[in-house]
Amino acid sequence: MTEPQPPFLADRLLTWFCDPYLIEDLQGDLYELYQQALPKGKLKADSLYWWLVFRSFRWSALKKNQKLKNSGIMITRNNFKVAFRVLWRDRFNTAINLFGLTIGITCFILLGLFVKQELSYDQFHGKKDRIYRLLLNEDYGDGRTFFNATTPLRFESMMEENFPEVEKGVQYIRRTHLVGRGTDRIHEPIGVISPDFFQVFDFELLYGEAEKPFVSGRSGVLLSANYAKKYFGNADPIGKTIAIQIHEDIRDFKVDGIFKNIPKESSIRFDIALSTEMNRDFYDESSFTAWFDIIPETYILLGEGERSETVDDKMQDVVLGQLGDTQYGGGQVERDQYNILLQPLTDIHLNADIPLGYAPVGNPQYVGILGVIGLLVIIIACVNYATLSIGQSLKRAKEVGVRKVLGAFNASLKAQYLIEGVIITTLAMTVGAGLSYLSVPTFNSLTGTDLVMTFEWWYPFVYLALAIIIGVISSIYPAFFYARFKAATILHAGSNSAEKLKVRKGMVVFQFAITVFLISTSLLIRQQVAYLQTKDLGIDYDAIVSVQLNPDPASQTISEVTASAMANGQLLKSGLQKHPEITDIGMGSHVFGTNGWAHYGINDNNDNFKRFRLLVVDPQYLALFGIDVTAGRSFEPNNTFDQRQGVLLNPAAVKLFEMEDPVGKRLPNDNFGDHQVLGVTEDFHFSSLHYAIEPLVIVQSPTPILQGISDLDLADNIVPKLVFRYSGSNLTNATDMLRSEWESIFPNESWNYEFVDEQIRSQYESEARMNKLITVATILSIVIALLGLLGLSLLVVNSKVKEIGIRKVLGASVYSIFNLLAKGFVIQIIVAIVLSVPLSLFLMNRWLENFAYQTSIGPELFVVSGVFALIIAGIVITLHALKAARFNPVDSLRSE
Amino acid sequence: MRGEHLGELEELVLLTVGALLHEAYAVLILEEIKHNTNRKMDVTAIHSVLRRLEAKGYVVSEMGGASKERGGRRKRFFSLTVAGRKALDETMELRYHLYQKLPKLSFAALK
Repeated sequence: MTEPQPPFLADRLLTWFCDPYLIEDLQGDLYELYQQALPKGKLKADSLYWWLVFRSFRWSALKKNQKLKNSGIMITRNNFKVAFRVLWRDRFNTAINLFGLTIGITCFILLGLFVKQELSYDQFHGKKDRIYRLLLNEDYGDGRTFFNATTPLRFESMMEENFPEVEKGVQYIRRTHLVGRGTDRIHEPIGVISPDFFQVFDFELLYGEAEKPFVSGRSGVLLSANYAKKYFGNADPIGKTIAIQIHEDIRDFKVDGIFKNIPKESSIRFDIALSTEMNRDFYDESSFTAWFDIIPETYILLGEGERSETVDDKMQDVVLGQLGDTQYGGGQVERDQYNILLQPLTDIHLNADIPLGYAPVGNPQYVGILGVIGLLVIIIACVNYATLSIGQSLKRAKEVGVRKVLGAFNASLKAQYLIEGVIITTLAMTVGAGLSYLSVPTFNSLTGTDLVMTFEWWYPFVYLALAIIIGVISSIYPAFFYARFKAATILHAGSNSAEKLKVRKGMVVFQFAITVFLISTSLLIRQQVAYLQTKDLGIDYDAIVSVQLNPDPASQTISEVTASAMANGQLLKSGLQKHPEITDIGMGSHVFGTNGWAHYGINDNNDNFKRFRLLVVDPQYLALFGIDVTAGRSFEPNNTFDQRQGVLLNPAAVKLFEMEDPVGKRLPNDNFGDHQVLGVTEDFHFSSLHYAIEPLVIVQSPTPILQGISDLDLADNIVPKLVFRYSGSNLTNATDMLRSEWESIFPNESWNYEFVDEQIRSQYESEARMNKLITVATILSIVIALLGLLGLSLLVVNSKVKEIGIRKVLGASVYSIFNLLAKGFVIQIIVAIVLSVPLSLFLMNRWLENFAYQTSIGPELFVVSGVFALIIAGIVITLHALKAARFNPVDSLRSE
Repeated sequence: MRGEHLGELEELVLLTVGALLHEAYAVLILEEIKHNTNRKMDVTAIHSVLRRLEAKGYVVSEMGGASKERGGRRKRFFSLTVAGRKALDETMELRYHLYQKLPKLSFAALK
């Protein structure tokens, strides 16, 4: 009978880790104890054995043989020592490597910060996965589609009452009100929020209860910490009052609570908050039951474990039940016409397909582009490191050979080079992190971004991990490259096989392809931005100031608001006319440089749905902007018929209404009040060049048109503005004149002015910003690529020193030697340029699709960037080649 | 010098090695200590201490004495070296010296 044996696996484990010198007696002792324990049962003895094996795992008992030391798993002190010595010995090379990697990493960190900031929007809410914003997507056929991120007021209670899945619904409205009393009243944006708002979102209340933030109900107000300081200084603001103008009267609101300043990465932002209980004062009674009157953004919080699909599935049944016999456009609303969609909170910031609500939206395309560029730059830097350290191979070939002869394993050689790479990148990472921290303010002011580099406890770990990853990536090729060397070949003659050269050539091509791609990209973006900013818009907008007029607070309808504001405008106009430098003065409901001019929908006589934009002006407005009327006539000053019934169309509107020779006719909709088309204007761009010119109807009085409309969308403020041209030389004088006139006429109103040319330029701000970012990245990548080229040409020259010497002895000219050295590089760079063309063409065309008006991508773009790359590369190579060509052959041939 | 100090367990093991003369190997040492002190410990701790003592030069070891109940594996016998003996003497002396300093009639001072 065989005796019971201790567990086999435990024994294997012991032999695996234990020092063979100790194994025999250790195993014997354990065996002995096992035998002693056996009478208590095999299971007990087995578990004791396992336990003892585990307990034997001690440092003093571990294997310490040669194999483990050199296996590459064990990073020994020797590896580091040698790495530091090598790096120090080739100081110049190390410096180039370090410099290239540092630049790459800095660029990567900065762009990474930007991308991280964009991606981290709204991520700080603990319940973010359960919070959705409601979208309203109506589609009644015939192009009668309305897609909005703002919703009717009744949605909050409708969702809460009809869906058990919905834990809470809250509203968020953004309004602008005059805040303060007396002379220093200013327009402040105000958030109107449901009382349970703080139970859904993780905005922190510094004072007040999340369950009941508005203790004073509808007369309560909440302030952010910043605004509490702004209005009350260091005094305790709780219980104090703040005056806000609601319609015509100024009311006192009691400060009920203070919330922590809302973080930058939040789509919902406000500094003053009122309760939605105030909505009764803001909106008509009818709005609360309306289905087509969209006011707040509605957010819902789903219950724990509920899925948004469940709500989606039930939505149409609930909606139809609630709508009852609600009519739209003469017919009952049918299934799937009135759709309520759920958009995840974290999707809001970077989804450009959803119409804008109150929350501003970033540009996902730019985030993607900049992220890719950040990666490209770091890849270039890695490739650079690889080419440069392979470039060092000649110097190190002997070292590798000797190591191999002495019996080094491949793995240990690889480990050596990987460690060198990691050391360099860790250094570069440290310097790069410091550099990025220091350059964040410069970067912000240069690019108009708003980055902050904060410190979190886990950052060092991320940095370390990044350093190791980048280090391994950049040195993995050199490591394998060295390890493959055959000792005999190297020690015999330090030759390079053709295959190795091919890889290196490939790397140069790759690097330059990316660089040329970046150069042509930034050139094209520059070209497009310049095109946008200088394209003839058909209007003359130089030196024009626009001033927001205030309507009579009592006015309600669009017509009343427009008329009362224009009447106020007349007062200001007569004041401004006294100044000789102010040449033209006009008024209009919209000014160039803003998108979203009043958008109206009508059903024409054939029941076709048509949409157009409406501009309400005074007779001087068109002439002021140099807009000519090509057919018929323009508005005549002091012509009351023109004032009440005159209509001008732009060519797109003529096309929309399918009118031939429209002058003197009516628009094809009998619902419009009395009106007559006076003339047709020339084409001019009134919205940004992202969009084509839309149909535009220009009137002096909106009343006849408003009688006929069935839908409206007022994205831009429709309250008229006064515009004037200033012919003086100093624009600050213009604002001074404006201020004194304004204060004498409207002493209690705050004033607000813009320069029209600035407004127009600011429409392309994000393009201009991206252009700057890409330009910075391009310059950096050029620098890195040049460093790589510098190292490479140095290497080529070094490896051919003897050949050059012999050629010179045999009578070669400086030119022919230069040719010999430079030809290879020139071919590689040309290949790189050719390769980059299709990539750039593809991506640039995608980007240009954003614009209705595009600059053309011509061959000159690639010629310019190609020649540019060639020239700078040429300079670097030439310097080296000439030096080599002038070398005295005696020096190079004497040794050996 | 590193390792000069003799830990409490080290001292115990070293004493046992000396006491067992030529019979000292891990399992026996463990049994002796268990028997004399009523401590709970396992053999791996003894191994660890023995390796430490060997590195300090207080004990030397040699292999010998295979037996069936050990699956045919030899034992590692430890014996005290001169340095080990000296270290024990010094520790003892120190203790004795300190013990002598205790006031003779100090029961009243004990708590």
